[in-house]
Amino acid sequence: MAYKVQIDDTVREATANEAAAIDAVRADAKAIAVAADAKAAALASARTKLAALGLTDAEITALLGA
Amino acid sequence: MGANAQTTVPSFQASQVLTSDQMNQSARTGVPVFANTTDRDAAFGGSGEKTLAEGQLCYLESTNVVQYYDGAAWATVGPATSGALTFISSTTIGTTVSSVTVSSVFSSTYDNYMVQANFQTISSAGTLIGLQLGSTTTGYYGSAINVPVNTGTPAGVGNNNTASFLAFSTGETNRCTFTAFINQPNLARQTQVTCLGSDAGRIAYSGSEVSTTQHTSFTLTPATGTLTGGTIRVFGIANS
Repeated sequence: MAYKVQIDDTVREATANEAAAIDAVRADAKAIAVAADAKAAALASARTKLAALGLTDAEITALLGA
Repeated sequence: MGANAQTTVPSFQASQVLTSDQMNQSARTGVPVFANTTDRDAAFGGSGEKTLAEGQLCYLESTNVVQYYDGAAWATVGPATSGALTFISSTTIGTTVSSVTVSSVFSSTYDNYMVQANFQTISSAGTLIGLQLGSTTTGYYGSAINVPVNTGTPAGVGNNNTASFLAFSTGETNRCTFTAFINQPNLARQTQVTCLGSDAGRIAYSGSEVSTTQHTSFTLTPATGTLTGGTIRVFGIANS
């Protein structure tokens, strides 16, 4: 993908190395977002199962810390 | 000792015949220049030298200051001593750029730096913004505390050997600032970063870039979308 980069006051098309660096940042952020989503989904699932066992919301929050 | 430095301040007598060297010295030393305070103190009051008196000026090469004699002691006129923070650069962010590199800002002058970024428009709300040092694209480690404003529930997030510091997130497209302290980027040691964000989400971050590369520049890269407008300012933190 073509990127527009800024080096101090100059804006130009990214070189291959610069584009690769941008892609790497994007890939890292995406991986972190995926992991965070999975963690949030697991938390929601745990909350649902604990509620099914009869725990109150306050008890679940105290137990999960969230 | 520089070309203008002198070791005596002469006092000429009535009807004395002056040499060209004496005339030249007199012409070029409106403010006498000394290598250091020892030479300054030795240059007055001796045989054939001017008697030190109130109002005398001098310049010291050793400390690059102008001084005046108040009748009892020497005092410094200037330049004024720098404060704890010294402005280094300001970069105006262009239109729809995918990254911004700020070059030639880290040097041996300062060990530690403060970077203040005020973004005007970020095309993708909630994106992380990477902070990369020089051309180093691996070996960034860090952890952040995320506290979404809608829940107030803190959560920890880490980045383990990534291509940049993932230092802060942008809650909104049109209001986001952050302050980063970048420690020892130009020393042959690991570079440490502490970052405080202003918006919802990633509010505090600390991390290390584990190479011993001596960096002179950094790059900010949104993980999605582009940046338009705003300013990135860099300040050096005085070593002493």
